[in-house]
Amino acid sequence: MSALPSVPLSVGANRVVRGVRVEHVCGDPLLSEEQDAAVGMRIVATAIQSLQTPVDKPTLFEPLAADASKEATHVS
Amino acid sequence: METPVRVVHYLNQFFGGIGAEEHANTPVQVRDGPVGPGRALQQMLGESGSVVATIICGDNYFVEETEAASQTVREALERIQPSVVVSGPAFDAGRYGMACGLISGLATELGIPSVTAMHPDNSGIVVYGKDMIAIPTGVDAAEMQAVLKDVAGLAIRLGRGNELGPADEEGYLPRGYRRIVNRDKSGAERALEMLTAYVHDRPFTTEIPIRAYEAIPAPAPIANIREATIAMVSSGGIVPRSNPDHQVSSRAENYFKYPIEGIDELSVDDWISVHGGFNTVYLNTKDPNYALPLRYARRMEAQGEFKSLYHTCFTTAGTGCAVSVAQRMGAGIAGELRDAGVDAVLMVAT
Repeated sequence: MSALPSVPLSVGANRVVRGVRVEHVCGDPLLSEEQDAAVGMRIVATAIQSLQTPVDKPTLFEPLAADASKEATHVS
Repeated sequence: METPVRVVHYLNQFFGGIGAEEHANTPVQVRDGPVGPGRALQQMLGESGSVVATIICGDNYFVEETEAASQTVREALERIQPSVVVSGPAFDAGRYGMACGLISGLATELGIPSVTAMHPDNSGIVVYGKDMIAIPTGVDAAEMQAVLKDVAGLAIRLGRGNELGPADEEGYLPRGYRRIVNRDKSGAERALEMLTAYVHDRPFTTEIPIRAYEAIPAPAPIANIREATIAMVSSGGIVPRSNPDHQVSSRAENYFKYPIEGIDELSVDDWISVHGGFNTVYLNTKDPNYALPLRYARRMEAQGEFKSLYHTCFTTAGTGCAVSVAQRMGAGIAGELRDAGVDAVLMVAT
């Protein structure tokens, strides 16, 4: 789980889940408490899902893909 | 004509003609003149150098009785006063390569230049590579003659007190040093030339080689996640508030383990991030679970999404960390988790 997924992907980590920001990888303090928890939960759930997914090379898993505009603003 | 350089040559028990593995415990012995491959080395040196003595030691003895072996070698070098020390070539022989590395270190201590030769993956290079001049070899002693020719060339120059140029020009393994040099053309001109060569598909040499990371085979997916024990790891500098192990905020060289059994989430009253590489205000005033998401992992555990969380979390502060240090810590964490029967890891990398 990393907010800078290009780094772990480039050094060969095989299952990488995109986090929110370096300062808060698994959640977003700028959101309401409820939404913050939903984001954190989605990231961890995606990580658990990735562990069950076959990969043959460094692969990025996108927990927030359903909300593309939000994702883009949070990737730094 | 210049005075011939005085060479002391180091060999293991095999190349020193004492015997194979059954003689690997042979202590250090010093002989006059060249021995074994030292004779070929002498030929290559010609009139420019003379192998005045050969130090021979068993592979096991040198790595097991390092202190005693080093002391004997040190005394011999002080007595003989060579102008350069040659060791090996060790090819891919690990203990021999380690001994050659130690020999180079001893020579350096005494202010004597040294040169050795071995395979780039030899543990001697891995451990001592930064501190010695080593010519790369293959794994096959059949190339002994060719290697000794290169060794002799560098030995003569080092023995005469000459400075060597860059590794790729002189043919030794890069040690990772950078030196300031003057170039004929400015950086802009050189960059443009490189770019032109690149677009025309012509060969060029980068001035900033990027480390090639090892390819890690992807582990197979977990077949039955409901039976899996999962551990939590974080490089976000998360520690108990009192920082009991005195984790540092940057250039950490250790990871630490903290029990999380019976804890549902990381409370901001009990946990803190000491990470010095980013603003930790959100972690330290609001929610440490951002960097070690115990709260959400516990929920999934409670829902039966996997069997259980491992009772201990592993953390370090991942900033300003050398790749070699990170590899050592990673191997340590992975080894402990494997031995504990953990199936998978949730890791936050900040």
